[in-house]
Amino acid sequence: MTKPTPKEVKAMADVAGVPVDAEVATRMANSIGPAFEGFAVVAGTLPFDLEPASFLLVQFAKVSK
Amino acid sequence: MSAEPALLSLTAVAQAIGQKRVSSREVTKSCLDRIAQWQPRLNAFMAIEADAALAAADAADAALAKGKISGPLQGVPLAHKDMYYDEGHVVTCGSKIRRDFVATTTSTALQRLKEAGTIRLGSLQMVEFAYGPTGHNSHYGAVHNPFVPDHITGGSSSGSGSAVAARLTFAALGSDTGGSIRMPAHFCGVSGLKTTYGRISRAGAMPLSQSLDTVGPLARTAEDCALLLGLMAGPDPQDPTAIAGPVPDYMAATREPIKGLTIGVPTAFYVDDLDAEVAKILDETVAVLKREGANIVPVELPDQRQLTAACQLVLAVEAAAFHKRWLIERPGDYGPQVLMRLQNGLAIPGVSYLEAMRWRGPALAAFNTATAGVDAVIAPVAPVAAPTIAESDVGNSPDAEAVIQRLTRFTRPINYLGLPALAIPSGFTRAGLPVGMQLIGRSFEEAVLLRIGAAFQRATDFHDKVPRFA
Repeated sequence: MTKPTPKEVKAMADVAGVPVDAEVATRMANSIGPAFEGFAVVAGTLPFDLEPASFLLVQFAKVSK
Repeated sequence: MSAEPALLSLTAVAQAIGQKRVSSREVTKSCLDRIAQWQPRLNAFMAIEADAALAAADAADAALAKGKISGPLQGVPLAHKDMYYDEGHVVTCGSKIRRDFVATTTSTALQRLKEAGTIRLGSLQMVEFAYGPTGHNSHYGAVHNPFVPDHITGGSSSGSGSAVAARLTFAALGSDTGGSIRMPAHFCGVSGLKTTYGRISRAGAMPLSQSLDTVGPLARTAEDCALLLGLMAGPDPQDPTAIAGPVPDYMAATREPIKGLTIGVPTAFYVDDLDAEVAKILDETVAVLKREGANIVPVELPDQRQLTAACQLVLAVEAAAFHKRWLIERPGDYGPQVLMRLQNGLAIPGVSYLEAMRWRGPALAAFNTATAGVDAVIAPVAPVAAPTIAESDVGNSPDAEAVIQRLTRFTRPINYLGLPALAIPSGFTRAGLPVGMQLIGRSFEEAVLLRIGAAFQRATDFHDKVPRFA
C-alpha cells in the first residue's frame, strides 16, 4: 500500500463529491501519508475469510491468564 | 463537612446530601461560586445555568425532606461535555454549525445519571465536533489548564478536564475516540475512564467514529469513576452495540486490595522518547503499585505503530462520512483545523478502510496473547506534560498532524483495540503540570483497572491537589 499523491487525493475528493484545490490536496496527502505508511505492513496480507465482525468475537472471548 | 462543599469528591458529596449533612442548594451554590470565580480564567463552561440549577437543587432538597429518594446521586450538580443530547437544551458540539441546535432526545448515559438524581449546572466546552487533542476551539476559544493557565487542557473533552480539576463540577461526561478522555485527565490532573467499546450506550451522544467512540467519565477519583460507570453501563435498545449482560459491582472492586495482581510494564513504544519527568513519574508510579502488593513484570506488546495507523484510517473515514453533508454545504462554518482533518478522510480508499476494520480482530487477539500473563498494563497517557496553548496552536499548518500524532501516540492504539483504560493522576512536573498514567485492561474488565486505580489513590494524594486561584 502506497500513500496517495496530491493528484490522486484531488481525484478521490472529487469523486467523493467534495472537491478540493491543489493546495489542499497536497496538504491532505502529507497529512494522511504516515497512516498509509504505518499500515503498509498489514495491507494486502489479510486472509480471505476474515470479516470485520471477528473483532467482536475476539472481544467476547475469555482470555485465560 | 468541608467549608467548601465543592471540594468534596462525588462519592462523598452524594453521601453527605443523602444523609442531609449538607443540602443540595449549599452544594450547588458552592459550585456556582467557584464557577463564577474560575470561568473567566478557564473558559471551561459552554453554558452556565445558575438559576435553573438552584431551582433543581431546591426541588431535590424538598424531595429529600419528604423522604423521596430518586437515586444515589440525588441533588448532586454536574455538567457534561456539550455533545450529550439533553432534550430541550442547546447542544453545540463545540461548533458553529450546531450553535443553535436544540436536542429533541436525551442521551442514554445522561438520562441514567438524571434518573440517579443529578441536576444540571450547564454544559462544558469541548473541541469542535470532538475532533482534536489539544483543547483549542476556533469558535469559542481555548480552554485553559487550571494548574498553569497558559497551558492546554488536552482534548477533546477540554472543558470536562478543566472543570473537574478546578472543582467546578464533581464529575463530567467525556468521550474518547482517540484519547479524548485520557488526555484531559492526564494534562489536568484528574481521573478519566475510557470504557470498553460497547460498555456504555452511545445513543444520543454526538458521533465522530461509530467504530471507535466510547462514553466515559472524568472525575476526581477512581472510586467516583466506578460509581458513575455502574450507573451508566448496561444494555440499551437505542444502541445495539451496548452489550447485554450484568453490570459488575465496580464500587466493590475499588475496595479490594491489589495484592496478587500482575501489572505489565511495556518494554517498548510506550516507554520510548518520553520526557524525562514523565519517565521518572512512570517509574515512581510502578514503585507505588509494587509497594501496594502488585507483581510488576515486563511485557512485550505487538507493534503499536500499526495500530495507530489503522486507528487513523478508520477515524478519518468515519468522521468524513458523518460530516459529508456539511462539508459540501457549510465548509466555511468549520474551524480550519477541524475542516482539514475532516477532509483527510475523503482521500482514503474504501479498501484501505475495510482492511483496517478487518484487522481489528487479529490485532486484538495478538494484544490479548501478549498480555495474557498480566491483569493490566501501565503506560503514560502521553510522552509529555501539557504544552502551552500558544506552542500547540498549529491551526491547519503543515505541522498540525505531526503535533496531533505526538500527543495521541499512546492513546490511539487502545481505541483501535476497543480496550478500557483508566487515566490516574500520578505526579507533577517541576513546573507544576500534572502527569497521568493509563492502566490498560482486557475487554470489559474495567473493574480491575478501577481496583488498581483506587489502591494507588489510597497510597498517594496527587488526585487531591486543588489548583490555586492565584
